[in-house]
Order: sequence, then C-alpha cells, then structure tokens
Amino acid sequence: MRSTDLFDDYLEGKLNANEAADFEIRLNSDEVFANAVNQHKSLIDSLTENNEIDNLKAQLTKIHEQEFGGDAKIISVNKKETFIKRYGKTAMVAAGTALAVVFGAVAVLGLGIQKTSNQITELGLKLTATNEAIVEGIKEGSQKPVHAPANMEGSAFALNNSGYIITSLHMINGADSVFIENKVFDRTSAKVILTDPKLDLAVLKIENKELYKNWQVPYSLNTKLADVGEKVFTLGYPRKDMVYGEGSLSSLSGFFNDTTMYQISIPVNPGNSGGPLLDDHGNIIGVIRGKITNAEATGFAVKSGEIINSIRTIGGDSILTGNKKPVTKGLKRTEQIKRINPYVFNVLVYKKD
Amino acid sequence: MSKPNLQFSDSQFLEGLRSGNSEVLRALYKKYYNIVLKLVVNNSGSSDAARDIYQETIIVLFENSKKPSFELHCQLQTYIYSVAKRLWLKHLKKNSNTFLMREDSEGEIADVSEDISLHDKKEKDFEKVNQSLASLGEPCAALIKDFYVHKLSMDEIAEKFGYTNADNAKNQKYKCLQRLKKYFFEKDLVKNSEIERKN
Repeated sequence: MRSTDLFDDYLEGKLNANEAADFEIRLNSDEVFANAVNQHKSLIDSLTENNEIDNLKAQLTKIHEQEFGGDAKIISVNKKETFIKRYGKTAMVAAGTALAVVFGAVAVLGLGIQKTSNQITELGLKLTATNEAIVEGIKEGSQKPVHAPANMEGSAFALNNSGYIITSLHMINGADSVFIENKVFDRTSAKVILTDPKLDLAVLKIENKELYKNWQVPYSLNTKLADVGEKVFTLGYPRKDMVYGEGSLSSLSGFFNDTTMYQISIPVNPGNSGGPLLDDHGNIIGVIRGKITNAEATGFAVKSGEIINSIRTIGGDSILTGNKKPVTKGLKRTEQIKRINPYVFNVLVYKKD
Repeated sequence: MSKPNLQFSDSQFLEGLRSGNSEVLRALYKKYYNIVLKLVVNNSGSSDAARDIYQETIIVLFENSKKPSFELHCQLQTYIYSVAKRLWLKHLKKNSNTFLMREDSEGEIADVSEDISLHDKKEKDFEKVNQSLASLGEPCAALIKDFYVHKLSMDEIAEKFGYTNADNAKNQKYKCLQRLKKYFFEKDLVKNSEIERKN
C-alpha cells in the first residue's frame, strides 16, 4: 500500500482496529513517518479549509448584495476624469482661514463618456479643472485663499439646527475631504457622520460649531408619503449658482419599482444630486438621487421617510433632533426660496490622486 | 429578506457561523455591518472598502471560531470592531504614507493580535495552495479537489474523469498528489521514497 493512501485511510478512519493501532505505534516511534503524516494532513486541511473559506466568501458576497446592494442598479456615468499631478510646493495659506490649498500643474484628460447599459445616471458633477482657472487662481493667489478645483461637486442641505447636512453618498465615496459652501456661507469642512449605500445617503456634520449656532432651518423632513400629482420643487448646484427647478411628483416608486424613491418631472442635471426635494408647503419630501439616461425631464428622489428611518437605524435619534415645523408654508415661492436658500449647499469633494 | 429580524445571542452566532447556518450568517452580517461601514467611511474609506474589510473580518472570526481553544473574551460586537479596525489600519498603512485614524467613541477594543496572525498565516497558506493547484493544472487539480474536498469515491472519480476503473483513478490521484506536494512543500518535503522503503 502506498504511504499516502495509508495516510488517507487513517485520517478518514477507514483502517480496522489492528491496522490503526499499528499505525499509531509507528506514528509515536518513527519521527520521519510522523512528519510525513503531519505534512500530508496539513496539505489536506489547507485544501478543505480553502474550500470552506471560498464558500463563505461567496455567501457573504451574496448576502451583501441582497441586503445592502440596493445601489447596484445605479451606476454613475463618468463624464470626465481629472488627474491632478501635484508637484508644486506652492501651498498658499490664507490669513485667518484654516484652509491650506495645495497647488500644482493640472493635466486634463478627457476620457469621454463611459456608457453603461444601466439607465440611471447619478448626478454628481465630476469636474475638470482648466488651465485658465489655474492661471486665474495664481493671479489671485497672494491676496485671498485660492481653492484647488474639487474632484466632484454636488448639492446638499441642512438636516436641522445641529449642523448636520444631507447629501448623496455616491459623491463623497472615497473622499479625502469634503467641503460645503453657498452664497451666505463660506467654504467650510464637513465630516462624514454616517452613510447608507442602500439609499445612496450620506450625513455630514459641519466641524466648526460657531458656524451653525444661529441656524434656523425653516423646514423639516416629512415622514408622510407625498401624493402623486403634488407640485414639487428642488434647489441645487448644477453649476456655481443655485438653480431652481419645479415640476410634479409623477410616481410613488422609482426605477425598477424601487419603493424607496419618488419619480419626479423635474429636469435634473449633474450636480443636482444630494439636493432637497420640497413640496408646495416647503417640507422636504426627498433627496435628489439621479435621473434616467435619455429621459431629460425625469428625476428620482429618495423618500424622506426612508431617510429618517435610515438615520435613526444607523445613527440613532440624536442626529434627528432639532427639526422645526416648516415656517415657509403659505408663503410665495420666491419668499420660500429666499428663506431656504441659506441651508442648501454646494458640496465640494476632494479625492486622493 | 422579508423575514423578521431574528435575535441571536453571541454564542448562537458563533455556533451558526461554525456550522454554516445561512440564516444565522445573514443575521450576523446584517447586525454588525453598519459598525464597520461607519469605521471605514469615517476614516477615508469608501463603502466598497468597508464591505471588503467587513467580509474579511467575518472570515477572521470564522477561522478563529473553528479552533477548539477559541473563546470569546468580549462582546461579539467589540471583537468585530477590533478586528475590523486592525484590518483597516493595516490597509491604510499599506496604501498611504500618511493617514489619520480618528479616535472614536465606540470605546472598548479587544486584543485580537493572535486572531489576526492566525488569519495572516492562513491567507499565506491559501495562496500557496492555490498557486500549487494552478501549477498542477487540470485534470489533476479537479481530481484532487473531488477526492479530498468533495469526498467523491474512486468509482465516481473514474466515471467522471473517464478512467477505466477505480484502481486506475487511484493511481492517477497518487501521481497528482505527489506533484501537488512537490509544489506545496517545495524544499521541506519529506522524501516519500524514504518511507516507502520502510513499508
């Protein structure tokens, strides 16, 4: 009998009592033999364990997809990629601000539009810095803070008076640092408090307490489901200035009948992602998430009820405190916007290059 | 997915993980994912990175829970958080020169050094097995796996691989195994001829 067959039979308990006893005597007396058996066993163990781990990995991947992979059907369309090669040491720090800005030469590589078979486009705006912007930046550099171009921009809005901000996760994924700004609010850094990939949701918090101590957020997140046909509007930053969009709520479910989303008839653009969706009374009823490729006047927003549930589950109630009843109810739209405006932000995301 | 969230104790989770109970595994996975997601995303990672770290954490737990001597000296949540933190720190160290790990309020950290070293050792072993199997090539690799992992009989193997009988299949398995050992152990292979002589 070949030694390895004997080993196998012993390890699987196939030897009879006498054979097993002989085997064990030899195992205890013959070191070379014992080493060979141990080696054999270690290889077989590795083989079986390897298989176990492979199976476990496959199971985990499946569970993850089923439980947390809600955004698998939505793929962002990369418009352009920006590669910033930093070689300059010219860091300019503005007096009185905590913002250090690193400067360098910028190489712009247009990669063209990467089409996918998926039909939802996420709306984070990937930015391409131009040489002009850099030249302009250098000219102004010595006088005031100059910000390096962000890798990704989108919208966000205040959740409550405690400095919490809601935006879309797909914009801040892999972020090195996140800043927010708007007309009344200087650029300031925000840290990521929690994220929910299923809803493409991220909650940020402004780090400097002084900046939000006087906040009076004029709206609250609606817990109730909105009605089809309701007039809705959004505010966001598809470009440097805030842009208003209005339409109506077209469906209580999103793409692929996803019940966590509303479908809306507002033309949304790259950069709108993460912005608020409001009803006529100025309640937040959702967060703009994406649109259907090739359908210009259709957008999707994650329902506010889903967002509240998610924040409560992941982050606890403390994040949600301080919400006020909407104070813009009954006001003219222009008045509503004036009051809501200060609490809607442009998000700037920097990623490691 | 529509099933209600079942409640399991830490030891039930461990037992289910060891025995491959898919329902328990799912409940376990769902219960602690957000802790690791938060940890990674708050420390310059993406949600994809969080997923990878979390799955590796579960594997560390699985490997260690299989040890007869394994005992959980803290809450499962603390264990998972501690392992994930170590794994994520390792990843950060490997991939960037400068990083900052935020101090967190999660509190307790368990000493999981030994558990991590066991995992590292196993990772190396698996890599070696996979490389050896790759060098071995087909049909040998499949034959070895069918015999040792899927526990097929020699008759079944003869049938599947087209050998005339079980003895032939056994012969073939022997040759394949000898080659596999050569790849796997390389220098430290005990010479089988030495033992055969004594037989």
